[in-house]
Amino acid sequence: MSGTTTVNLERKVLSENDRLAAELRGEFARHGIFCLNLISSPGSGKTALLERTLASFPKDKRVAVLTGDIQTDADARRLARYGFPVRQITTAGACHLDARMIVRALEGWDLATLDTLFIENVGNLVCPTSYDLGEAAKVVLLSVPEGEEKPLKYPGIFFKSKLMILTKVDLLPYVPFRLDDAIANARSVQPGIEIIQVSTTTGAGMDDWLKWLERRGPEGRSGSAPSQSRL
Amino acid sequence: MHEVGIAHSIVEAVRTEMKSYPAAKPVKVTVAIGAMSGVDKDSLSFGFEAITRGTPFENMILAIEDAPADELELKHLELEEP
Repeated sequence: MSGTTTVNLERKVLSENDRLAAELRGEFARHGIFCLNLISSPGSGKTALLERTLASFPKDKRVAVLTGDIQTDADARRLARYGFPVRQITTAGACHLDARMIVRALEGWDLATLDTLFIENVGNLVCPTSYDLGEAAKVVLLSVPEGEEKPLKYPGIFFKSKLMILTKVDLLPYVPFRLDDAIANARSVQPGIEIIQVSTTTGAGMDDWLKWLERRGPEGRSGSAPSQSRL
Repeated sequence: MHEVGIAHSIVEAVRTEMKSYPAAKPVKVTVAIGAMSGVDKDSLSFGFEAITRGTPFENMILAIEDAPADELELKHLELEEP
């Protein structure tokens, strides 16, 4: 019989990535790991935040970091100084991490020894938005010099994030950044987004971030704290 | 720009689907994309054209529909059967 047939597909474009992410989420829940996916533009301070965070942890803290970059292992070397397991994922051109890269990067690691895993995504405010990595939550960083309009210009990642960390707030007196507008812009895209203000230079706000980790950790570890988009 | 990767995922899905219709020709694949998905429609169309050129999918049309929020879904595939 000749003619045109229409086949219903009705599935996610990234269903293979989502399948792997669901497996990762299951693994994290089984081992009680709170996994966060940190996303921002290049240079917003993801690595600096992680450095200061790792430095504040006791030596027996069960934490590890996967850090993604297009090239170099510079970030992994920076982060490894704090004595916790760190692995670099070099994407060799890809502008984001995907679930398969996480699966590979975790090979050989005993997940039973961890309760917290930070994934530092490739510096990019667009591409990482689409890829679920099995995290309990996406965390978006916005640095003060970038301007308060970022949440409106790049709504996808702010929509999907559970927490926005405003970084480099020590620069507020020196740059024309309207803090209230930045917060209003983020909330206009995602009314439920939580917001913390941090300076890794002065240490301001670090307590708020560490308390957020403590508060959100238990629900994240049980697998009951899905990314914002699924709330 | 990750739209080329997204385009590859779409072509792979069509390739898989076509195994059930070995004699048919894919004519049009429809995807639905939300404004919060992080996918740019023009970039996706450009990437799709680039990766299908010179392949059996060269003449297949990529139709893009608007969708709510962060949706990024394959909707349907139109085939021409002999």
